[in-house]
Parts: sequence; C-alpha cells; structure tokens
Amino acid sequence: MENILEIVNLNKSYNGIPALSNINLSVKAGEIHGIVGANGSGKTTLMNILFGNPIIRETGGYQGQISFRGNKVNFKNCAEAIRQGIGMVHQEFALIPDMTVGENIKLGRENTHSLTDRLFGRKYSFIDRKQDYENAGQTLRRLGISVDVGIKIINLSVNIRQFIEIAREIDRTDLKLLILDEPTAVLNKNDGLKLIEILKDMSDHKIGIIFISHRLEEVQYVCDKVSVLRDGKLVSQYAKGNIYVNNLAQDMIGHTINKAAAEKREMENKPVITFKDFSVKMPGEEVKNLNLSVYKGEILGLTSLSGHGKLALGYGMMDMYPVDGEVYFEDKKLVKMNARTNIIKGMYVLPDDRQGLGILADQSLESNIIFTGNQIKNMFIRDSAFNFLGFIDHRKTNLHVYKMMLDLDIKCTSIKQKVKELSGGNQQKVCIARALTVDPKLLFVAEPTRGIDISAKEKILNMLIEINRSRNTTIIIASSELDELKRVCDRIAVMVEGKIFKILSPDSSDVDFGLVLSGEEGVDCEKL
Amino acid sequence: MKNYRLKPPQIIISAFLILLIGLSYILHMDLVVLMNESMVKLVMNGVLVLSLIPMLNVGAGMNFGLPVGIIGGLVGMCLAVNFRMTGFYGFFMAILFTLMICTLLGWIYGLILNRVKGREEIAGIFIGFSFIPLMNYFWTLAPFQNREMLYPIGGQGLRPKISLENYFNHILDNYGLISIGNIEIPVGLIVIFAIICLFLYLYFRTKIGRATIAVGENEAFAKLSGINISQTRLIAIIISTIIAGFGICIYAQSYGFIQLYDEPLSMAFPAVSAILIGGSTGKKTFIFEAILGTYLLQSMYLLSVPIANEILVPELTEILRTFITYGIILYALLVRERRGIYS
Repeated sequence: MENILEIVNLNKSYNGIPALSNINLSVKAGEIHGIVGANGSGKTTLMNILFGNPIIRETGGYQGQISFRGNKVNFKNCAEAIRQGIGMVHQEFALIPDMTVGENIKLGRENTHSLTDRLFGRKYSFIDRKQDYENAGQTLRRLGISVDVGIKIINLSVNIRQFIEIAREIDRTDLKLLILDEPTAVLNKNDGLKLIEILKDMSDHKIGIIFISHRLEEVQYVCDKVSVLRDGKLVSQYAKGNIYVNNLAQDMIGHTINKAAAEKREMENKPVITFKDFSVKMPGEEVKNLNLSVYKGEILGLTSLSGHGKLALGYGMMDMYPVDGEVYFEDKKLVKMNARTNIIKGMYVLPDDRQGLGILADQSLESNIIFTGNQIKNMFIRDSAFNFLGFIDHRKTNLHVYKMMLDLDIKCTSIKQKVKELSGGNQQKVCIARALTVDPKLLFVAEPTRGIDISAKEKILNMLIEINRSRNTTIIIASSELDELKRVCDRIAVMVEGKIFKILSPDSSDVDFGLVLSGEEGVDCEKL
Repeated sequence: MKNYRLKPPQIIISAFLILLIGLSYILHMDLVVLMNESMVKLVMNGVLVLSLIPMLNVGAGMNFGLPVGIIGGLVGMCLAVNFRMTGFYGFFMAILFTLMICTLLGWIYGLILNRVKGREEIAGIFIGFSFIPLMNYFWTLAPFQNREMLYPIGGQGLRPKISLENYFNHILDNYGLISIGNIEIPVGLIVIFAIICLFLYLYFRTKIGRATIAVGENEAFAKLSGINISQTRLIAIIISTIIAGFGICIYAQSYGFIQLYDEPLSMAFPAVSAILIGGSTGKKTFIFEAILGTYLLQSMYLLSVPIANEILVPELTEILRTFITYGIILYALLVRERRGIYS
C-alpha cells in the first residue's frame, strides 16, 4: 500500500512556545492510524495543520513538509483541504445550529433538480430537499441512529450532534483521508463500537483514517498503527499486534497511573430527593415520567445510551428546561423550579458542556471559583456599611481560592489566570471548586471526565469520592463511561427512553449492563 | 488592563492626530487653546460614551438606542428651564428630573430589549428612530410656559434650540477653572467626569455588577448559577439610560443650548465610533477604552476644523467628520469577531 499522507520534520510554535517538534508520520491508504496523547500534547495542533485551519497561518505557519497523495501541500484554508479529499470530524462541533440535520449532512453536496440545473447551472439550481433528506437518512441509518432529519441541530443533544458530524463526513464520496478528533468522547460504549465498525468498513474502501481518542481500549482495538504524542514530540509508534493499553498510557503521561475506586459500603435508605413522574423537556435528551429516589450520602450513577435522558435531570432542577411532575427534596415538595432557590436549598449542577455552561472563560480562576457562592449565598462580601452593594473581601477570597487550588491541585500560574488558558482537566477542577464553595447537599455531575486526559480523569473521580465521603454530599453522576461509574458508584440507574429502566449494583457484569442499556427485559437485578 | 494591545483604528486615528498637530504647529495655531478645548470636549462627549459601557458589558451590544436616554435628559433640562431654575440649583434640578425620567424610560426600553435578545443593536436603532417623531409631538404640544423656550411667534411649541444663557450655561466648565499661564484646567468638569467613571468602576465591583459581566460573557452559565438574567439586563440598561441622560445635560451646559427635535438622532453614532476607536469589540469594555476613544476622536475633530479651514475648503471638515464617524462603525463591524465554523 502507498502512503497517502506523509509528514516530514514538522515543527510548529505559538509565540515562540513550541507546540510540535520534529514530527514524522505517514498514513497508508486504508490504514487506521491512531494518535493518542494527553491534553496539550499537540494533537489538535497537528490536526489543524493537516486540515488547513487558518489559525495556523495566522500564528506564523509551520516548518516541515507535508505530502498528500504524492503532492507537496500547504493548505491555506479548510476549503482547500476539503477539495483535496480530506474530511474532519471536530471535537467541538462544526455544525450549523440553525440548519436541519439533513441540510447539515448534505451541505456543499446538495442534490439539485436537473431541470433547474440546465436552466441556471448547478450553482444556482434548486435544491432537491427530498432527495437530500433521503440520502442523509440513509447515512444516519448506516450509523444506526434514528433521528428526524428535519430537526434543527440547535435542538439536539451533544451526543446526537457528534453522530451528525460523523455522518456528514461519511456521506462524502470523494473522501480520501478522514480525521476524527475524539469522535467517541461523547458517545457511550455501544455507540462507540457502532462507529468503529463503520470506520473499519471505510478502511476496507481504501480511505485513510486518522483516529484521535482518549479511549485507549478503542485505539488498541481498531488501529493498524498508533503514534503517541507527548509535549509536542512523537515519543513512540506501535504497529498492530504490539498495541497495548498499558504501554500507550505510560508513553502518554510518562508515568503509571492509579485508578480511582470507591470502597463498597452499606447504605441507609433514607431518600434525600424523590422524583415522581418527573419530566424534563430537554431536546434530544428528554426525561419522561421518571420515578426515582436518591438516598442520603450515596453516589448514584445514571447511565443510558445517548439521547435517553441521563443529562437532563440536573438541568431540569436548575430550570434550564421546562419540567413537569413532582420533586421532594428532604421531604419537602419543590413547588417551582428556580435555580437560585434550589442552590440555596443545597443543590448544585456540574454541567457536561463545560465551555458553554461551566466556566466564565474570560475571567480569572478566582472569579470563577467564588462566583456562585458569592452571588447566591452572599459569601466573601466585605463587611462595611455598604454590605448591600456586595463588594468583595479580597482577603477572604484569596484565602479560600488558594486553599481550593492546593486541595484540588489546580495547575495555574496564579489565581488571576484566565480560565480559558487552563487545560480541560483543570477547568473541570475549577468547576468542582466552585461547587465545593457552595457546599451542596446534593450534587448533580454530568459527564465529569469528558474530554479530559486519563491521569486527570482519575483525579477527578477520586475527588468526587472524597467529597462524598468527607462531606456526606449525595452525588448523582450522569455518565456514559460505565467503567468509571462501576468503580465509583453505590448504585447505577440505567435509563431507557427517559425513564429509569433498572437499577443495578456496580458489581453486575458488563453483559447485564449491555442488555439493560438496550432495554432488554429479563435481567436479574439485585434488590437495591 | 494588562496585555493591552493597540488596535488598527487607534493607530490610524493616532497617526492622523499627530499629523494634524504637526500641521497646526506649522500653521502657527495656538496649540494651548486647542488643548484646553480638547479637555472640555472630552468631558462634553465622554459621558455619553461612558453610558454605553453597562449595556456592552451585560451583552446587549452597542446602545444605538442612545436617543432614549438623551431624550430623558432633554425633558429633564426643559423642566428645569421651564420652572426658571438657574445656576447650580437649576443644573442640579435638571439632573434630578433626568434621573427620574430616565429611570422610567430605561425600564421600558429594557423591557423591550429583553424581548429582542440577540438583536438589541438593530432594535435600538429603530427604537430611537420611532421615539424621536413621537417626542416631536411632545415638544410642540407640551404645555411649557417659559417664553424663552417657546417659538417667538405664536408662542406655542418649543424652539429647536433653547439657549441656556440665563440658566446654567457653562456652569461646570467655569466651576473651579484653574489657569496656569495660558493653560486652563476645568476642575469642576473633570471632577464630575471622574465621579461618573468612579461610579461605573464601583458598579462593576458590586455583586450585581459582577453578575452583569457574567451575563454578558456567558448567559447560559449565569442562568445555571441562578442569576436572574432579565433583571440583571434591565438594571444595566436603566443605568446606561440614566448616564446617557446625564451625558446630554453635561453636553448641553458646555454647548450652551438644549437641542430638541431630530437632534438626538445623530448623537448615538459618534458615541459608538468613539468607543470602537477606544478598542471595544462590542463585548466587555473598559472605562479606559471609552475615555481613550473619546479623546482621540474629539481631539481629531477639534483639530481638523481650523486646519481644514486654513488649507482646504471649509465644508470638507463636515464631510471628513461624517466619513470617519460612520467609517469606524463599518470597520468595527468588518473586524468584529465572527462566530463561524472554523473560527
């Protein structure tokens, strides 16, 4: 097989700080080439260069040579890369929110009516929407998801969006090289496997694939070759047969990691919150007539396939989406959902969409950590005659933020550093620090480890266990990472179509979970 | 204010300003007089520019609906003049009336803007456009009594230009005026300006002020954190409107006239271009940026008038002024951070 992509001595730096140094890589037609690395190891920069992202030119271009299908290339923009047959599935979704699923998938490759083709030329021809939607529907069915192609992207959950984005690339016929930046990060295991089958099928059709993932098991399973990046350098390469998760993990972070695990224990069955026929109208993640009691002091895992409602529960409690039904918190009925009063009562939500909902990216670590405590619980306010204006007491704040920084091991240059400059893991720690500042009795956590590298992942999980044990905080973790839930949780509730389907013990086998997740009856559940 | 980078419009305007200063030196103009006047111009227009900041920071964009606040200020001053309140007492009462009227107007304006979230700028333009004809009826029909305000013939309806000569003309300009040689420092004016800056500075350090900035930066985050978005926006918009009302009072006492009818319409654009020259990107804006932008823009206008009169046709200054005002806004729209797919 010939190399369709060859990278020789690639160097790239941002403002004098090297992001990539001396990268040599080649991808053959039909090869699935895995690239792994911790956050900040240069994966995204490499992809930006390959896909001609203008940010590379704006920051001074790169040194080195890239050949694509035998020709030397230096893409000025993404359109050029696309014309050459490169496709990319982004980590941050590159979909147009106000267009429908079908329109997004067929964007730039629309079917047109032949009559108007002849009259006005293809460029100004009428779009054959029916045909477009049919094609898009077919592609989506190949991926195994059922979503109405007429829905606007803005109304869909992150999980489904990821599939749409993948579908858009798969739908292309001129595709030669497909770059996938963490495509499975927001998918659960089953959906991930589905995707991997698709990738294998594409590789059989001689399409080169660059596959970036944090999930090393997948990389081991699917890739023909793996390159490991660390601090902008290529530290090792493995070919199929020699790919082992442990080696990859060690190369990625340079040392071994300890996996987080909570001890098993006996729980008192005293409910802290009870949902009765609770519904949340979060588009694409709807909760419908859910009944659930969460016990005081437990860690409850909440899992489901994408789109079955695990993420919506916390958002519903914070009045982000319309809700219906009854909720009893500490035996008192909540009359009206209101984020402010619910936070005061002792609830808090750590969102899954960190960039969009979790942080004030342009503000300092300090402002981020104290924000909710200060706004809702009037903490850190300077004592003076002007109490009602709420000026900040900087001594109190500094003390608290430094303590948080040390306790949670947040890596930053100072507490005044802007949060957008931190890595994903540290941003998540900032979110946790904010939650701890409010000191909730009940904490909703959604996808706590999404987009975080493996060593930081375990720290985050350990942190959640620690918060639960030391403060007796009840925690509800909504996650698609079954393996993580099994290590951390006391009970795991599986949701199907917006309802609690079964509650399993974390010791249940993967097979049982698999069956329950897909809504199969007849699995023996322990009485919990 | 760390990492402050000069932006292209500032560099262009500054270069032009230096050129103008050079020219005026060659043409033997009195630079000291021009400098004195530039201080007055800064405060005269600066308060109107400052009034944009709360709305920018709450994420409601440039306040193209500035005429709303200005009209509040005009009504306030007209009331003071109508009751023949003169001197400091008159100015103080004008400010007090303005405060009350602008709070009401700002509240209504805020309620409207809360319903057009995301399109505040264009809505603001049209609120201004539609409010002014409405007020034109008011100016002609309102039962003002003071003969000095009314049309001399017929005695009904307010004049387009009401002289403040007998009321509070230059009341701040001349208060505490310190002269060192030829240099005049209008201390009173500067103190008032400083107080408004300080007020804004403190506002953004209060609890509600910090919530304001959070709403402007990430509304979804603020909502999840239990902030009342509508209320926060409403307060910021009311404050913007009130400061705009104060701004026109300060402007009028320097200018010497209350200008009614269609005049407020043309005031929003110079204010917006000033804050853009200062480096605002339509999002979080610093007080410093407003001051810098106003000073650069107004000094440039100030210098270009006599120079153009000297070496070019006089009409050119007005053309230049209009061109720069609107050109800067266009430029800002061109370079404003676009939220595209691959941005």
